[in-house]
Amino acid sequence: MKQKIIISSALVLLLVLVAFMVKDFFFSKPDNTNPYRFELDNIREGDTTKAVYSETLQIKTTLEEIHGLTTDSLGRIYVSGKDGIEIFNSSGKVETKFKIDSTAQCIAISQNGKIFIGVKDHIEIWDKSGNRLSRWASLGADAVITSIAVKGEDIFIADAGQKVVYHCHVKGYLFNKIGLKDPATGVPGFIIPSPYFDLGISKDGNLWVVNPGRHSFEKYKSDGTLLTSWVKASNAMEGFCGCCNPSNFAFLNDSLFVTSEKGIERVKIYNTDGTFLAVVATPDQFEEGTTGLDLAVDNQNRILVLDPAKKLVRIFEPK
Amino acid sequence: MKKTLAIVFLLFLFAVQFMDSYGIQRFPKPEFESGYVQPETLLPNPRAEMLAILDIAVLIISLSVVSWLVIKKRNRNGVFWMSVFALAYFGFYREGCVCSIGSIQNVTLALFDNSYLISISAIIFFVAPLVYTAFFGRTFCAAVCPFGAIQDLVAWSPQKIGSRLNAVLGVIPYIYLGLAVLYAATGTDFIICRYDPFVGIWRFNASFGMFVFGGILLIVGIFIARPYCRFLCPYGVLLNWVSRFSRKHITITPAECIQCRLCENSCPYDAIDMPVTTKNPEDKGTMARKLIFITFLIPILMLLGGWIGSKLHEPLAGVNVKVRLAKQILNPGTPKNQPETFEIEAFKSAGKQQSQAFAEASAVLHKFYIGSWILGGFIGLVFGGLIAGRLMTKHRTDYTPNKGTCLSCVRCVDYCPVKLPK
Repeated sequence: MKQKIIISSALVLLLVLVAFMVKDFFFSKPDNTNPYRFELDNIREGDTTKAVYSETLQIKTTLEEIHGLTTDSLGRIYVSGKDGIEIFNSSGKVETKFKIDSTAQCIAISQNGKIFIGVKDHIEIWDKSGNRLSRWASLGADAVITSIAVKGEDIFIADAGQKVVYHCHVKGYLFNKIGLKDPATGVPGFIIPSPYFDLGISKDGNLWVVNPGRHSFEKYKSDGTLLTSWVKASNAMEGFCGCCNPSNFAFLNDSLFVTSEKGIERVKIYNTDGTFLAVVATPDQFEEGTTGLDLAVDNQNRILVLDPAKKLVRIFEPK
Repeated sequence: MKKTLAIVFLLFLFAVQFMDSYGIQRFPKPEFESGYVQPETLLPNPRAEMLAILDIAVLIISLSVVSWLVIKKRNRNGVFWMSVFALAYFGFYREGCVCSIGSIQNVTLALFDNSYLISISAIIFFVAPLVYTAFFGRTFCAAVCPFGAIQDLVAWSPQKIGSRLNAVLGVIPYIYLGLAVLYAATGTDFIICRYDPFVGIWRFNASFGMFVFGGILLIVGIFIARPYCRFLCPYGVLLNWVSRFSRKHITITPAECIQCRLCENSCPYDAIDMPVTTKNPEDKGTMARKLIFITFLIPILMLLGGWIGSKLHEPLAGVNVKVRLAKQILNPGTPKNQPETFEIEAFKSAGKQQSQAFAEASAVLHKFYIGSWILGGFIGLVFGGLIAGRLMTKHRTDYTPNKGTCLSCVRCVDYCPVKLPK
């Protein structure tokens, strides 16, 4: 009897093995997932509970594509994009909209209200009525202008294509180039694997530039002297990861950094020394794959996020 | 005029190429400036030629030694230690590749695909055991095959399962062999390697599923000795055929059988044929009727099997990547918002036309149609042979090893009280 049980059990196991082979070979569904896909799901999931800001307003834009975002001292919101510029008041109502004959990748406002836009390889200056005041010469065949900052008579232009920041007079002539690799002065050079290269002027009047390939921020005097820098390279939420992050940043009025990333679409706040402080917006609030989350901060210290996928300006305030 | 048009057309094509190049170069490629150096792509080196020759030499020497131990010395201890060596060398050191069992597929693919280059090792691993079997029986199974060796070492409490069950389960290797040949010949898959139960153990890297698979087989092997060899091994089918005609096969007794029945239960593989001393042998008329029945039955079974096989050629071909891709293109079968499967994505990015995918799939299906006819016919033949074997009784006076299924392990020899003078 015992022998029969043993033999029966062994035979059943043997047949189970054969059945497993048949099932596995003929009836199992092939794995269609892309084996080369860089999985970010775990990193994305970690963010969702930590946002200390909430979204309070969404402004719908009417441009076909949107690329640049800025605000002025009165809280007006400027959006640049394909063939046009839209200006909203602080509550999201359209004040002006005018056409341009190109795509404005980035936008900045001078203290006297002139609109500076970066169009591929050159700068254009417009007024709020939609008149082009000037068009600068090309910065070079390889130029890809991704960010502009204006401070008085100085204008700083980020050129991702040539990996340099141009320091010019607002009338168009060049003062100097900033950020070219120079071991003698400790300037590491910009590593820019994709066309995301942002800059801004901090409260103390110095220039901050993202070095996205290094996941760092670098602070320069207007003559190009490197003053300081901070790096946050990490897969954790406290840092930046991927080939080239952060993609954009802006300053809160108390000089804190607001950053945005691509790959993992999120907006965070850092202290001036690079200490991670808070999460503003989490990946689940954006469509996966959204890039170009340009940032601005208005006179009420609200954080404005450009969402090109949804064609929105999204405004976040502390909870 | 035609020449000018051709030149203009070519110039246009070149211009389009340059536009692409411009597009690619418009923005610089990712680069590293932090001292990181891109490592060179490393490809595993092929096994050194000397080591491949060593493998062949070890195989030939092992076969020779085991054959000598089995046929001349009738020495179970020697066979046991040789199987330990085979487990160590062909199993753990050589990590089970190339093995004679899997070489069926290499040989098949080489026969059907001119572009496939088969190594000399694969050919020799396929042929040498068959040649030795033709002379000495399945001495390869006895102590050279690492699959047999590992199972032999765990056959602690082997039970007899009866000749009928043995015969029914014994059909599985034939089907497995037929499928393995079909899938190798069509360039679809090497299923013997895919379901190699022990390769993960040799390499210490088995997936959980295959570890369980191999583990269960070894557990089953405690009670049903060498289950893989007897009820799965496709190479065993070939060895079985060849061994039936072996010139010098091991015998239980070195001289005349004294009918002591001591060896009756000695074989863990149920491979000893009992004496058949029928009191009333069948008359010639009954024998003739049986023969006529078998003569008609086998072709009918083959035709029936071939017809069933041909009806199953599409499901059988469903695992082929080209057929699967064509099916996915025809019927993606995914909800609208879901991304395309990786295979379709890869196909599209390669810039191929759908018609090309369908043509390739159609060619594969045609191969499967013919292959399925042959496979079905082969399985029909196997069943016919099984029935014939049950119908036709063979007269035997002594206890003899079944030349087809005997694995030449020499266990039975020790039970025989008849010894030759030294």
